[in-house]
Amino acid sequence: MAETTAPSAMSPAEEEAVYYHEAALNSAWTGARLAAGGMSFLFGCFVFAFFYLKALNSHGLWYTSASRPQLWLGTLIMVLVVASALLQWAVLQMIKRGNKSAWMAGAVVALVLGLAAVVCSILQLMYIPFWPGASGFASVFVGFTPVFLTFAFCAMVWLEILIMRARPIPQISFVEQPPTFAEAFAVQRFQAALSSFTFVWNYLAAVALVAWILFYFVH
Amino acid sequence: MAASSAEAASPTARTGPNHGLRIFLIWLPIAVIADWLLYFVYGPHMPPGTMSTSAASQQFDIKVMSVLAAPVFAFVVVYAGYAFIVWRHREGDDTDGPPIYGHARIQATWITISAVIVLCLAAFGTYELGAFGQSSLAGAGAGEGPSPIWKPNGTPLQIQVIAQQWRFTYRYPQYGGFETTALYLPVGQPIQFNVTSIDVIHDFWAYQLGVKADANPGVNNIAYTTVEHTGTFEVRCDELCGLWHGAMFNQGNVVSVAAFQAWAHKTEIKLASVTKMLPAYATSYDPTTIAQLNKAMVKAGIAGANGYYYPPQDPVQP
Amino acid sequence: MAIETQPERAQGAGGGLPAEGGGGRPWWARPAIHTAIVGAVVGYLLGHALGDYLTGATGAANQYPNVPLSDSEDWPIVLGYTLAIIGWLAGLGVFNDILRQMVGRPISGNGRAHQNSGLARFFRYELDHKVVGIQYLVGMIIYFCTAGLLAMAMRTELLSPVNHVFTSQVYIEIVGEHGTMMMMLMTSVIVGPFGNYLVPIMIGSKRVAFPRIEALSFWLTPMAFLILLSGFMLGGFPFGWTGYAPLSIQATVGADSYAVAFGLMGVSVALAGFNIIVTVICYRAPGMRWGRLPMFVWSMVSTSFLFVLAAPVLFAGMYMLIMDRTAQTAFFEDSLGGSSYLYENVFWFFGHPEVYILALPGFGIVSELIPVFCRKPLFAYKVAGAGMIGVSLLSFFVWQHHLFDSGINPDMRPLFMVTTELISIPTGFIYLVALGTFWKAKIRFRVPMLFCIAMYFNFLIGGISGVYLSDVPADTTEHGSFFVMAHFHYTIMGGLIFAFMAGIYYWLPKMTGIKLNEKLGLWHFWIMFIAFNSTFLPLFAVGDAGQPRRVFEYATNLQGLNDWVSISSYFLGFSILLFVINFVWSTVIVREREVGNPWQSRGLEWQVSSPPPADNFDQIPVVLSSPYDYGVKDAQPVADLHPPAGVVTAAIMSADAARVEA
Repeated sequence: MAETTAPSAMSPAEEEAVYYHEAALNSAWTGARLAAGGMSFLFGCFVFAFFYLKALNSHGLWYTSASRPQLWLGTLIMVLVVASALLQWAVLQMIKRGNKSAWMAGAVVALVLGLAAVVCSILQLMYIPFWPGASGFASVFVGFTPVFLTFAFCAMVWLEILIMRARPIPQISFVEQPPTFAEAFAVQRFQAALSSFTFVWNYLAAVALVAWILFYFVH
Repeated sequence: MAASSAEAASPTARTGPNHGLRIFLIWLPIAVIADWLLYFVYGPHMPPGTMSTSAASQQFDIKVMSVLAAPVFAFVVVYAGYAFIVWRHREGDDTDGPPIYGHARIQATWITISAVIVLCLAAFGTYELGAFGQSSLAGAGAGEGPSPIWKPNGTPLQIQVIAQQWRFTYRYPQYGGFETTALYLPVGQPIQFNVTSIDVIHDFWAYQLGVKADANPGVNNIAYTTVEHTGTFEVRCDELCGLWHGAMFNQGNVVSVAAFQAWAHKTEIKLASVTKMLPAYATSYDPTTIAQLNKAMVKAGIAGANGYYYPPQDPVQP
Repeated sequence: MAIETQPERAQGAGGGLPAEGGGGRPWWARPAIHTAIVGAVVGYLLGHALGDYLTGATGAANQYPNVPLSDSEDWPIVLGYTLAIIGWLAGLGVFNDILRQMVGRPISGNGRAHQNSGLARFFRYELDHKVVGIQYLVGMIIYFCTAGLLAMAMRTELLSPVNHVFTSQVYIEIVGEHGTMMMMLMTSVIVGPFGNYLVPIMIGSKRVAFPRIEALSFWLTPMAFLILLSGFMLGGFPFGWTGYAPLSIQATVGADSYAVAFGLMGVSVALAGFNIIVTVICYRAPGMRWGRLPMFVWSMVSTSFLFVLAAPVLFAGMYMLIMDRTAQTAFFEDSLGGSSYLYENVFWFFGHPEVYILALPGFGIVSELIPVFCRKPLFAYKVAGAGMIGVSLLSFFVWQHHLFDSGINPDMRPLFMVTTELISIPTGFIYLVALGTFWKAKIRFRVPMLFCIAMYFNFLIGGISGVYLSDVPADTTEHGSFFVMAHFHYTIMGGLIFAFMAGIYYWLPKMTGIKLNEKLGLWHFWIMFIAFNSTFLPLFAVGDAGQPRRVFEYATNLQGLNDWVSISSYFLGFSILLFVINFVWSTVIVREREVGNPWQSRGLEWQVSSPPPADNFDQIPVVLSSPYDYGVKDAQPVADLHPPAGVVTAAIMSADAARVEA
């Protein structure tokens, strides 16, 4: 990306624009990693609660046969999220190689998959076959699911924004450097945001995978 | 940076008064006198007294901490006071001070000394818990949970502390498991408090005995002590437990072994009818047995709040 | 979205939005605080109605008869609060840009006019970090004074051990409100005003990384404040600031105000910290190497890491509590497979870093100020930085010292005793730095310096008393007593708030161009310092004599000490009143201009005009030397504010090279 900045003959205003443009690109990268760190502590709390209550097993009520969420629905949600994230990661590689339309198509599918996962999650909570206070496990499950689906939903809003942002950018801008600073900056910022999103969404998919293993197999 | 300016910064290598030595000479007598006063004059009167082994160990710890803290406090205050007098800004002097960025040896000394003090303190605290088999310390009177790792020698007298909003009651399992609001202890015998709660978290704090253990619902929290003097002691709830937390206190009595035996046997007989209604003695109680417990207590006329929260318009004073 | 970056044209001065005029709308139709209030009220009513409908329609109240201690009235309250928060933000226009982007339209200025320098911008969702800083400053003073008045009410009740001014119900409400308000809102007391305002200027940046997130973090605080205060109308909460379950599950609906407000504040600080970290990492001016970063910025970064990592834990804890109260899960209900220890662990895993969140910014301010008033470089710069990083790292490994008597893990006690005592080593570094800086200095006793010295004195007592508490046997006497209470007031009020005052007297001329009256400042300082010590020093004795915290009745033989403390606390309150009078008098009525560099500071923030220009700097400055090079012959200026062309570009190219390698 550095080749946009011809080292000579820039006015102070241009220099400044380039400087803060670079800073913004770095911010997107740094912010995504930092956000993942913060989220790890949030989700880590539920993992901690899971193992803590499991180890304590107060009154033998950590897990009862009655408090068992539907395995097929849980698996479906996990598969949807992971598929959406992997697809998004795959098409990110395509747009990096300049193929915007492939990314567009893939991103729309990823969006639909992600939203489907959110809907399934809500359905699972609505038709859950035990009451939330039935056991320690039931509490962790009922507590964790809304948090995760909120994050997944916000991620999908973000993806939708990225799709809308990509629309006006011409295909050619992803292949070769646009002529003006403003256009080049817009493309690069979009790509930085897209990379950040892909990182965060894949992170959330990893969380979904861990949660699936914990809730359906480790209990 | 630190290394390059080390020579310039060396406090003794410069001409002029030896500030370091002066500060040291002011500090030394203050520290010695403060420590002497703290250890020998105030020390024997420090909280929480010496009524039991655990109280005595806590008093000793507080004493040792104070003896360590006083010189540190004195050093910082003497140094700063010296600096404010000697190195204050004088009227009309607009120059800056010497550009000292650091001093490798002083920094290393400071870090080493503080690390040594801290590690010694940690070792001392661990020792004081009875971690090296000193059975008289037995966890220093702190609640150790259901499976204590520091225990006293011999068979301790078991006393169950049942906390509820906003009252303590006591069960004596070795005397038929009667339950009462009176707390009597024999002198000279190891005592095991089994602290539990039937509603929210409370904390059993027998101040003069140096015993403090949270009362958690569904959990048995064990604390040991051996009382060494007869007398009375205060029991307070030390964990905020709702409206009347401040009113949750009573008094305990330490009596001779014979007097204790007499009291326990008499009470066991007197309360036999109530004891029959109580659920069997257990280290903690679940909701069904709590209901049973409360019924018996109502009959005995010593009910608490039955494990339920009084709505604000109806605060009943215990 | 959280880490969205915007096209250049969408960013204006100071990270704010470009001027767009009024958007043609009349003032009352533009988003600002009044539309926010309308949104909050509408949101609350909607949420309350929804909650009533849900509990009525599904009968959630009766669905789980086995949960004895929760009640269905919580749903309407919690949903009401949640939608009130959303309505408040919507009324401020926080969601406008997100919605516009979702339908593919460019970001607008939300009708904001940046060149409008009037008071109105302080009542809007304004993205300029300097405006956010001032908003925080005024907000924090209001929150602090409210909670301080509650403290004086408590001391009034404690004048007598048996006669009561309040009922036990009102007293316990006041205790909870005071503690929670101070602990949750004062987390931002320095990061909010000074961190947001000064960090970008100190690192030579014209803007922050995420201005929307920064502004959002402020606008959540009034909502947290109001929600917490509304607890009074709901019967309050009887469990202090720690909210131990199951008492907090058993309590009536007032507890919802606690959980929602505290959780919301967790979100606010996590967002604030997020922005500051990314800003410092990515937006430093050329030449602002890590080794030249002002100590205040180091403290902001280490505090922000605690924000980002610890606040989500708080949020999770509050969320679990709310779920236990509403959806009737059983996280903390022992008889249903949960555990009250889970709450204690989660709460203190947040709670102990929180305590250092309340200490590190104070360290930062005093370390930043003493070189200026000693006219010497900061002694052992690297040690000071290492101290702050060390404290923030270790703070995650000490939480179980709050649970020494709770009955969990007796075998872990020696370990947590060691970690707790270890943390006094990096804390001690701050004193090494101070004493080293005093050596052969030319100390100028101006008001900010006096507050710094007082901070060192108070924190020394607070820190040493903390070592007593780390020792299990000594802690067994002192845990849960007034000793603990005195200890953390010495570190937080004596440390953080004294440093905050130092910061106000020092930086207000920078932020507003207006100087506080120095004579009143001296009165304020001396009364506050003496009254503070006179209030809290006796409380160590009160605690060691066996008085537990949060009681409204105590042993009659302790009345003398308690009365002394209560009367001192009125003087302490009076000193804060003096400060407020000084603040209002100086900034509103007298407005004595102070445009230069009144402290002859080398700090980069003092190299620009006061208040700083809209863009902070005319050009990106190039930093040439440490801000602490006092007394150095032929010292370079701290920065070149108008660097020749090409210097900045060279810096970009070298940064690029580093990134390519990485």
